[in-house]
Amino acid sequence: MHKYIFKRILLLIPVLLGVSFLVFSIMSFTPGDPAQLILGESAPKAAIEGLREEMGLNDPFLVQYGKFILNAVQGDFGRSYTSGREVFGEIFQRFPNTLILAIIGVVIAILIGIPVGIISATKQYSIIDSTSMIAALLGVAMPNFWLGLMLILFFSVGLGWLPSGGFGGWKSLILPSITLGTGAAAIITRMTRSSMLEVIRQDYIRTARAKGVSEKKVINRHALKNALIPVITVVGLQFGYLLGGAVLTETVYSWPGVGRMMVEAIRSKDTPIVLAAVLFLATTFSIVNLFVDILYGFVDPRVKSQYK
Amino acid sequence: MKKVLLMISSLVVLLTLTACGGGEKESKIKDTLVVAQGADAKSLDPHATNDQPSSRVSAQIYNGLVSTDGDMNIVPALAESWDQPNSTTTIFHLRKGIKFHNGEELKASDVKFTIEGMLASPTIHHIIEAVDKVEVIDDYTVKIITKEPFGPLLHHLAHTASSILNEKAVTESGDDYGQNPVGTGPYAFVKWESGDKIVLKANEDYYLGAPKVKNVIFRNITEGTNRTISLETGEVDIAYDIEPIDKNQVKDNENLNLEEEESLSMAYIGFNFEKAPFDNKLVRQAIGHAIDVDIIIDVVLDGAGSKANSPIGPKVFGHNKNTKSYKYDPELAKKLLAEAGYPNGFKTVIWTNDNPVRLQIATIVQDQLKQIGIDMAVEPVEWGAYLDGTARGDHEMFILGWVTTTGDADYGLNALFNSANIGGAGNRSFYANKDVDKWLDKAKSSTDPKERLALYAKIQNQIMEDLPVNPLYYQTMNAGINKDIKGFKLNPAGHHKIYGVYFDQQK
Repeated sequence: MHKYIFKRILLLIPVLLGVSFLVFSIMSFTPGDPAQLILGESAPKAAIEGLREEMGLNDPFLVQYGKFILNAVQGDFGRSYTSGREVFGEIFQRFPNTLILAIIGVVIAILIGIPVGIISATKQYSIIDSTSMIAALLGVAMPNFWLGLMLILFFSVGLGWLPSGGFGGWKSLILPSITLGTGAAAIITRMTRSSMLEVIRQDYIRTARAKGVSEKKVINRHALKNALIPVITVVGLQFGYLLGGAVLTETVYSWPGVGRMMVEAIRSKDTPIVLAAVLFLATTFSIVNLFVDILYGFVDPRVKSQYK
Repeated sequence: MKKVLLMISSLVVLLTLTACGGGEKESKIKDTLVVAQGADAKSLDPHATNDQPSSRVSAQIYNGLVSTDGDMNIVPALAESWDQPNSTTTIFHLRKGIKFHNGEELKASDVKFTIEGMLASPTIHHIIEAVDKVEVIDDYTVKIITKEPFGPLLHHLAHTASSILNEKAVTESGDDYGQNPVGTGPYAFVKWESGDKIVLKANEDYYLGAPKVKNVIFRNITEGTNRTISLETGEVDIAYDIEPIDKNQVKDNENLNLEEEESLSMAYIGFNFEKAPFDNKLVRQAIGHAIDVDIIIDVVLDGAGSKANSPIGPKVFGHNKNTKSYKYDPELAKKLLAEAGYPNGFKTVIWTNDNPVRLQIATIVQDQLKQIGIDMAVEPVEWGAYLDGTARGDHEMFILGWVTTTGDADYGLNALFNSANIGGAGNRSFYANKDVDKWLDKAKSSTDPKERLALYAKIQNQIMEDLPVNPLYYQTMNAGINKDIKGFKLNPAGHHKIYGVYFDQQK
């Protein structure tokens, strides 16, 4: 098991190298000169040239990339082109905001998705099943920004209960995490339902029932545990996506998270921020995936025996 | 299953508790003013950046040697008076006893340090490039010497980029100064939560008297609609830049006011002077007559603008109100086109970045030009590529704007039309007219306001005749404010001052 985890962490190195190279190339070869963008449309040519030299933008591409990697392995990701802040400090200031939204969003999604999925599966084709499946379809189909605006209209403008945006206090967390959680809840519901349906038709469930085990026990102990594996995968992936920063939700709620920071950085060609943020997110995404893989082992002992 | 549920619910409780811990208690007595703008500041070091969101915050923290009033007239600030012994020398007499937020007293050495820092900064060097050197005469007297006589010097020193910094604070903070600004202004910096808000508190020792509002928070709310919503819900007291579509919503709300004021910004359609058929004056004039600016102002801006008759607006020193704008007259436009040798029109491309206002303008202009036979395609170009391409001259027609932030004609006209500034420096229409160059240089180096006014009047007439760019409109800027807020005034440069603002209950 330890060996397996170690191996997976080692695998991160080529992943991060690949990601950084890709992002660096995209940022370097797309049109637009960072120096010009920093100095604005009225800057004299000499000033732009001077700044390019200062920023090392006149070096050949590979030299620039090499310098970046050399500094990065020493923990120095440089400073933002636009704000002059240390990139790492900036990311660590924003990441907790994104993390807390993602965690609450996923918890909401799990709390809704798994129970509703189980009920739908056990009462297949009942009214509860069709209602929740329609709700799930709506949940996936509703765009985040629209749902966000509707919630703001209802709870902030209409009732005046909750703030319409910004970061401060637990109240400000409610609307954005519901907005984020809805989509994920819908996906988890559908996944749980279909996975449960598959499992409860298996022979061993029939055997359990034939033994006279109570229906509750059959579902909770025999069926759910086996049905959970694909659900865990989906939950893990959803969590990973939410960590990547839900740009639309963050924009609608003026949430100071990583997603908005990255989009703003891409727009202003702030390469150091984009690179560090993408690397950081790739790392967290990989770690979440690793965690999900380990979790399989706990749910299903057969999987555990394969970890070498 | 129960265990899992128990774990999850305890996690939720735990998270809620932690979230509560981070929350700030709102106090009942209103002593905090919340201002919303569309983007976060980049840096509060005036030497590092010159963007609007940053300047709007910096304007509360710092003072310059001089300042401008609501009509862009020069008024004293940190310097209580100044005199000009000769055309290249200005001596400033500083107020005594002014304290920076860190307790240091303002000295002439800080002024010297600031201006030398500006000269070394690639971002704002152009604002002060006329300065040759700064000499400290004594602690409260400083002499600024320009390379040549420079008429707009005071306007340039009133720019937020020319805010006076404290030498000790800048040296101590080094690269992190932009996040730890120290000024002499009415509000002192407290903290900055990146992407969310900047918190300022009143400077009780402010030289004009302590501000009435004790705390100011600048929040960034990117979406225009959300700024209006926050204003409606009372989370925000002042929201800058209400979107045209939301203006009536604010006007009709009995708790809110909409303040409007003509700004220093001008939007224009430019032509590439070096490419046929735009090298032909008649073609440019024909397009001038073919565009109905009133429709653009009505439809795109919802009335929030006034038709431009010159590249600089009425609030800018040097504006010539007698310069003629182009009357909408498609028949005359057709005649001019035929005279130029294009009786059947021609095909061309207009560039714009992905700014929605500019895209809409391009679409309307496309239709209007079709009426006189010009087949114009609209090509949206990514902002970085747009600046690059128009600096190189890859474009044919383009849409851009210019803000004459100093309030002096030199800043607007010289950058856009002097052939020395062709390309990235501002003259993206590649316009070159020796007379205009000569007049611009002369007006820049003259210190006689009358002579400058006469020269700028001539320049504006010539430019509207040559029409390297077709000025469309001067944009009206606005802010939605809560009715409880008194004393708020829009500043034409966009850097609205919070000093002087108070809550109605504070009267």
